[in-house]
Order: sequence, then structure tokens, then C-alpha cells
Amino acid sequence: MSDNEHPATDLQENVEGHVPKEPPPASHSDSSHDTQSDSSADVTPTRKTRKRPENKPPPEVQERPETASEAENASKASSQTTVSQGGWGSWGSWGKSLLSTATATVATVGQGLSQVIEKAETSLGIPSPTELSAQMEKEEEADAPSSSSEGNTGEGDGNVLGSAMGMLSSSSMGMLSSLSSVVQSTSKTVISGGLDALEFIGKKTMDVIAEGDPGFKKTKGLMNRTSTLSQVLREAKEREERQTAENVTSETEKKAHYGMLFDEFQGLSHLEALEILSRESEAKVKSVLTTLSGEELTALRDDLEQIKESFSLMEFDEEEVDDPEVDAGEDFLKELTDALKKLHISTTAERLGKARKNAFDRIMDMKIPTEAKQQPEEGSEQEATVTKCTVEDAHFSAITSLAELTARSIEQFHKVAEMLLHSTTEGVTALEQAKVLAQITVVLCKEVSMLSKKFTACLATIGSNEKGEVLNPLITGVFLEASNSASYIQDAFQLLMPVLEVSHIQTTADSSH
Amino acid sequence: MEAIWLYQFRLIVIGDSTVGKSCLIRRFTEGRFAQVSDPTVGVDFFSRLVEIEPGKRIKLQIWDTAGQERFRSITRAYYRNSVGGLLLFDITNRRSFQNVHEWLEEARSHVQPHNIVFLLVGHKCDLEPQRQVSQQEAEKLAVAYGMRYVETSARDAINVERAFTELTRDIFELVKRGDITIQEGWEGVKSGFVPNVVHSSEEVTKSDRRCLC
Repeated sequence: MSDNEHPATDLQENVEGHVPKEPPPASHSDSSHDTQSDSSADVTPTRKTRKRPENKPPPEVQERPETASEAENASKASSQTTVSQGGWGSWGSWGKSLLSTATATVATVGQGLSQVIEKAETSLGIPSPTELSAQMEKEEEADAPSSSSEGNTGEGDGNVLGSAMGMLSSSSMGMLSSLSSVVQSTSKTVISGGLDALEFIGKKTMDVIAEGDPGFKKTKGLMNRTSTLSQVLREAKEREERQTAENVTSETEKKAHYGMLFDEFQGLSHLEALEILSRESEAKVKSVLTTLSGEELTALRDDLEQIKESFSLMEFDEEEVDDPEVDAGEDFLKELTDALKKLHISTTAERLGKARKNAFDRIMDMKIPTEAKQQPEEGSEQEATVTKCTVEDAHFSAITSLAELTARSIEQFHKVAEMLLHSTTEGVTALEQAKVLAQITVVLCKEVSMLSKKFTACLATIGSNEKGEVLNPLITGVFLEASNSASYIQDAFQLLMPVLEVSHIQTTADSSH
Repeated sequence: MEAIWLYQFRLIVIGDSTVGKSCLIRRFTEGRFAQVSDPTVGVDFFSRLVEIEPGKRIKLQIWDTAGQERFRSITRAYYRNSVGGLLLFDITNRRSFQNVHEWLEEARSHVQPHNIVFLLVGHKCDLEPQRQVSQQEAEKLAVAYGMRYVETSARDAINVERAFTELTRDIFELVKRGDITIQEGWEGVKSGFVPNVVHSSEEVTKSDRRCLC
């Protein structure tokens, strides 16, 4: 989808550094791997076949009477599509969690969501909102132009979004349900397009939906994917900073801003540095490929192709759903440490382990005062100090923990990249390393998912006496940022691909001399 | 409130390995001295707010680079997006002082088309008995390259604040004069956000609100 639509701009951006001007070798684009064909020209990770980690909302949210049936539909749809296309199943669950919580909060956040869904649906080329909502619920009248249902994402964003503003939020539910049934019956390419579009629900709208901000107009160029991940995040952070600066006197002072927190944990810097390494490595691979010919070239291409495959076939073991009540902290650290060892480079999971511990300490801090809490009336200032933990505090802890764990994950990948490029690794191939890194990515995403479950469970307990419009956006926010966190981690993982390719080329060169 | 700062400056800290770059930065950002520290891998990041005038805060984003030769090629990529830098040598290690010239050359060749404001730092000044580089000598070199010179000790917390603050002030003056400008696609200087409503008279007043264009 948008990845494919802007190859020229992507390329342009990437060559900005030291990339030689030669066109990439032709055979790169005719490699038959269905979704990898543009990855050689695109340092921003391709995200089509990657699977999303499982993330189900806690029962408190999911089983609300008004959402249960829809969630079930979505779940049926996703399980069916899993058969035909592995990647869809897990995304279905992310979508589902987003969906069921979002439905509960339509009053505040629905507007933003409906626009995004409409956007996703537009790029899929499925029926216009008008037809959909008529089909789902007769009461809905949307005036979005049906002409926009072409797969056109470049132009007309303004129109589409503008008209979507007028849509009633309850239609969002209907549309996404139909969306999954459309996806189910269409081809692979559409599905990958759909994945891309759905990813946008997480990536570009995190603030909007999380904060229930109806002033969506400022997020113009919603589908503009020519920017790098760190730019997207930096923009988010800057927007939050601006908001914070503008609102210092209001009660939003303590509001949790993922982007700002992520930056405070130096996540942005590590990401930027990782992007630099990735870009430079990519340029290096390209220039090496242009100097080779014949058998050498074919052999190297085959090797690189295999490495690439490890980056697209990530397996999330869906059977193994962590019990959120069990603190598997030791397991997490051990699993990571063992995996890192297999990379044969000197790096530890110490900081990640600490981030995880901090998150669990925050959860414990929340739990103790809550259980002792007797009468959680409307949280006035005084009570907040007595009971120690308000829903806002819990939300802040959750977002902080997600931001910290994500920042540390990206730091870990950055350190791995540095070590891969600047130390000689013996006894392990780049291909094996790629598989280990994929495994690490899974571990990290699972952890993010697990954290979001724990935090939302806490939120639900603490806020059991809160009004829905107070509690639900907070819970939705946590799930969204968790979904984003997993995306960032996976994107950072993709940035490692050129780095491993260079490492492979170096090792091969070393051994042949 | 953390979000309220006038500018963000990105600083890079360079110099031979083991001169104490990370220790100096940690003292500055974390207020403590690490007795043992592992060699930096590639680059690490720290940040801190500095108040250069009452109510005027600058956020420093500090890129702590590895001194080891093997990481040199990584470090090179980071000069371009820095507005300032601390160039460290160890006053008890003559070799690290002799390499100052080389570091400057390297920085200058990779920073194009921008400029970096450097501050020369003679580190570990608590180890006076082992001194191998005299203060006059270092000052002379600094003048020759148009830099300030400061002697610091992370262990005894000598001049650490001063080193960073003076560099920040110098850059701030250049920004105010328009010699350094904020540019799209350059991370050296970023403008922060000033609140619409201010709490006290000491806070940034309306007239101080900068136009971001």
C-alpha cells in the first residue's frame, strides 16, 4: 500500500546519506518473495507479513454486554483468516482489543476512530461508509463521498477526513466488522494492504484516540509513510510538548504522554542512532552488490535472501498465553539473556531487566493501596493523597512502563547493531543471529502485551467506581500504546536487517582471506 | 514542567578512550561518580536541563561516544547533528592531549556544512600529582583553536557544572545573535515550547516568547 506507493520518496530519503547513486541491482526487485521486493530500497521497515503479538483486553473490558457479540464476530473472522494467511490472526486480536474497548468509549473517542477506520477501509477499496453503515445499522447516515473508496491514499485525504468528521461514531463498529469480512474474502495482497492500513490505527493516531481528541485535523497527511519511525515519534513528542507547555496551568499537567516519556528514556536517540546505522549498512550492502558478478553475486544474493526471510517470518506462539497473574520476571530475563548469548557478541539484557522490574514495582505499588481502599468515591484531591493511586496515576504508571520498556528494547537493538558491526563474531552465522533476534523481538512484544494486560486489570480495579467516560479512554490508551510499543519494537528489529547483511558480508570476506 | 525549555542543544562528547567522558557526563546528569564503568559501546545518551538565566532553560541532549578506535566509524556519523561538543583529554595522560588535534580534525571534517562549538576539557584534575599536561600548555592549545579551556574532575565534582554551562551559554549567545539557526533536518538546535500562561514574573514573559519562524 503506502509503502509501495512512495518508493521514490523513500529511496530519496535514504540516499541522503552516503548511498552511491547507482540504481539497486535489478534482481533485487524480481525476487519472488511476495512482500520483500521493495525492502532493498526502503530502510523504513516493510511491515506486511509480520505478525502482531497477541493482546487481548482483560475480561472486564472485553465481556461488556454491548461489545461481547461484536468481539465474538471479530474473533471468528480472524480465526478463519488465520487459516488462509498466518499474519492476520494475531492482528485480528489487536484490532479486536482496540475495537471492544473503543466501542465502550465511543462517546469520547469514536470520532477519531471512525476516521481512521474509514481511512483503512478507503485504502482497502471496500464499500463506502455509506453503504457499510446502511448495511450494519440503518440509523447511520454518513456523507463520505463514495468516490474516495478507491485505493487512493495520496490525494483527497483532506476530503475524506473532513467528511468523516461528520460521521457518527457508532458506525465505526460496523465498519470494522465488515472490514474483517471483506478481508476474509479477498486476496493476499489486499490482506497485506489491510495489515498496513490497520497498523496505522495504532501508529498515527495514538494521541488522537488515546486522548479522545476531536481536533484531528492537525494530523494531516495521515497515510504519509515517507517519514522514518524516529520522525513519526519525534513529531508525536513535539506535539505533546507543545500541548503540555500550553496547558501548564490546567489539570492536564500530569497527563501521561508516551512520546515525551519515550524520549526521556532516550528511546528516540537510540532509535535515531539505530536508523543511522541501518541506513549506512544498507548503502554498504548495495555498493558491495554492485562490485560483484557471476557466481559470487548469486551466492551472496541467496545468503541475503535467507537472512531477509528471517525478518519476515516471525512466529508468535499463540498457544502460550501468559497468565497475567504470574510474575515471570525471572523467565523474561533468562530468556533474553540466553538469546543474547547465542548472538556471540558482548551485550547484556541488564537494562531491559531493570525496565521490566520497574514496571512490576509500579504495579505492586498500585495494588497495595487499592486493596486497602474502602470507599473509592469520586477521586478528590485529598483522597488521591490518601489512597495514593488514582486512575490517572495508574494510567501514568502504565504509559511510563510501556515507554521505558520500549525505549530499552530499542536501546538493546541499537547496542546489538553496534556490536555486530564492530566486533568479529565467530561461531555463529548472520542467519542464526537473525533468527535469535526475531525470537528476542517476540519475547519483547509478549512482555509488552503482558504488561498492558496487567496494567489495564489494575486500572479496571482501581477505577471500578469511576464513570465509564473517565476509565475507558484510559484503558483504551494503555492498549493503544502497548500496540504502538510492539510496533516500534518490531520496526526497530527490521532496522537490524541491513546490519546483519553487512555483518554477513564482513564475516564471509574475513573467512575467505 | 519538564517540557518547558527554550531550546534543545545536542552536544557530543569526544576524546580518547579512558579519559573519563562517561564519568563526566554521569556526574553532570546523575550527580554521582561511578567508580567502575564499562567502556562505552558506540554511543550512549543522556539529557539534562540547564538554567542559563532565571526562567530560561535549555535542554541538553548529550551523545556520549566511545573512545575506542573500533567504534570510530560509528561516531563519525553523529557529528553532523551536534551543535556543540566537549573534547576531553586526561591531564595525567599526555598521549590523550596529543590526540586532541586529531579529534578536532575528525570532527571538523564530518560536521559539514554545520559548525560545532567545542570546549576543551582537561579531565581528572584531582590527580594533580600525576599531571602530565600543564594548564598553560592546554590553554595555549585551546586559544589556538578558538576554544575555551576548563579543567574538571568527575570524582571530586570540580567544574563539571561550569564546563557544561559555559558551553551552553556560548551556544545560546550564537543562537541569539543568529549565527546558529534552527534548520529543518538538523538536530543540533531545536526550539522548545514556551507556555502561554506563566505562573510568576520570573517565568518567561510574553515578550520573551520567541517566534519560531
